[in-house]
Amino acid sequence: MIGHVAWRLFRRALVNLWRAPMPSLVAVLTIAIALFLGAAFVAALDAAQLLLRGWGAEASITLYLAPDATEAQAGALVDELRREGTLEVVYVTRDEALSRLRQELGDLGSTLDGLARNPLPPSIELRPRARLSVDALRALAARLSKLPNVAEVDYGREWLDRLEQLARALRAAGLGATLLVLGAAILVVANTIRLAVYARRDEIEIMKLVGATDGYVRLPFLLEGALQGMAGAGLAVLALLGVEKWLLPQAAAAFSFAAGVAGPVLHAPEAMALVAFGAAVGLVGSWLSVARFLRT
Amino acid sequence: MIKLFGVSKSYGPEAPTLDGLSLEIEKGEFVWLTGPSGAGKSTLLKLLFCAEAPTSGQIIVGGRNVARLGQSGVPLLRRSIGVVFQDFKLLPNRTVLENVGFALEVLGFSDREIEERSIRRLDQVGLRHKARSLPQKLSGGEQQRVAIARALVNEPKIVLADEPTGNLDHGLTDSIIELLFDANARGTTVVVATHDHALLSRHARRTIALQAGRVVSDV
Repeated sequence: MIGHVAWRLFRRALVNLWRAPMPSLVAVLTIAIALFLGAAFVAALDAAQLLLRGWGAEASITLYLAPDATEAQAGALVDELRREGTLEVVYVTRDEALSRLRQELGDLGSTLDGLARNPLPPSIELRPRARLSVDALRALAARLSKLPNVAEVDYGREWLDRLEQLARALRAAGLGATLLVLGAAILVVANTIRLAVYARRDEIEIMKLVGATDGYVRLPFLLEGALQGMAGAGLAVLALLGVEKWLLPQAAAAFSFAAGVAGPVLHAPEAMALVAFGAAVGLVGSWLSVARFLRT
Repeated sequence: MIKLFGVSKSYGPEAPTLDGLSLEIEKGEFVWLTGPSGAGKSTLLKLLFCAEAPTSGQIIVGGRNVARLGQSGVPLLRRSIGVVFQDFKLLPNRTVLENVGFALEVLGFSDREIEERSIRRLDQVGLRHKARSLPQKLSGGEQQRVAIARALVNEPKIVLADEPTGNLDHGLTDSIIELLFDANARGTTVVVATHDHALLSRHARRTIALQAGRVVSDV
C-alpha cells in the first residue's frame, strides 16, 4: 500500500509542477543561480587559499647569526641544516652580505667604503624544498631560532600575516554571501510553494475533509519543493561544469600568476552532494510554506 | 452514534451560536436538522466533523470524544463521516470519477480499487456515463449527486449534509434526498440540515429544530 500511495503522491507532485510551470521555473532558476554562486564561491575560495599557501611557501627563511659567531661555528650550523635534507641552504658570509648591499645601493654603494669594519652579520638563507603551510613555516622558524649562534630569524612574518588576514576575510565574505543567496533561494521556493498551496486550497480543504492527515497533505508539496531544488541544483552543476571545461582554461592562460595552482574540479560525489543540498533547500522552503498553511 | 452534552459555541462576545445543546442521535437514524438562518445548523455539523471545536461541552461521535481526539485522531474520525455541502465542493480540474475517488486515495486504495468502487457509486447515483466529464459540464443536481457519491464511496458510518438541496430546484430535490434515504436504508446514520419545510413535510422523519443555538423541538 505504501508503494502505490508514494507513487501516487510523487505523480501528483509532477503533475502539479507541470500545471504551474512558470512559478516552478522561477524557483528552479533561483535555486540554480544560488547554488551556482555558492559553489563557485567555495571553489574560488579554495583556489585562492591554495594560491596563498603557494605564495606562503615561497617565502624564504633567513637566519642572521650572532656577530661574534666564528666561521667554524657558522659552517657547523650550515652542515647541520643541510643534513636535514628538507631545506636548500645558502651561507652568506659577512663580506658577501656587504658586497650585496653595495650592489643594491648602486651609486651610493661607495659610501660603505668609509666603514671602519663590516657591520653586517653572516646569515644563512633557507628555502623549503617542499611546499609548506603557513603554520608549518612558522613552526620551522621557531625551531630554527633556538639553534646555537642564531640571533634572529626573518621569514616575512608580516607578509604571511597579511596573507592570512586576506584568506580569513575571503572565508567570511564567502560564507556571508553564500548564506545570503541560499536564504534568498529558500524564500523564493517558500513563496512559490505558498502560491501553489493557495491555488490548491480547495483541494487541501477537501483532502482534509475526507480524512487526509497533515502528512498526506504536506507530502506532495514537499516533493514539489525537493524536485524544484534538485532541478535547480542540476542546472547549477551543468553551469559549473561549463565554467570548469571552457572558462577556467582560458582564465588560466590569461592570468599567469595563477599558473601552477590547479583549477577547481567538480567530481561526481560533489555534484551529487550539490543536488542533495538543492533538494534540502527545496524541502526547507516548501516545509515553511505548508507548515504555515496547515497551522491556519 | 452521536451525543452532545451541553455544547456551546461562541465566535465572540455576541450571543453564542450554539447555547448548551444536548441531544442524542442513534445509529442508523435519519434526522432532519432545521431552523431559520443563523439558528446554528451548519455550526453543529461543523462541530460533528471537527471543522470547529466547541467552546464548552462534550461531543461523542461513533463512541469517540471529539475533544480528546488530538491532531492525529481527527483525520481518522473524518474517514468514518461523509460530508455533503450546499456548494458541492467538487474539484473543477478533476473528472467526476477522480472527484469521487478522492476520498479513497486518502485511504490508500490502489488505482484499480478506486476506479471500481467509484464507478459503483456513480452507478448508484445514476452518473456512470458522466464519469470522465469535468464537474462544470454537469448540472447542479448532477454535481450534488457526484458530491453524494464522494461522501458515500468509502461507506462511512455517518453522513452529514448541509443544505444539500439549497441550490437545486424542487424537481431535483427529491432525487437527491432519495439517495440519502438509500444510504440510510443501508445502515448509515444521516443528518441533513435544511430550512426547506416543504421537504420536511414530504418526508417525515425525526426533526430537530434549532433556534438561536438551542433545541426548540425534537419530534
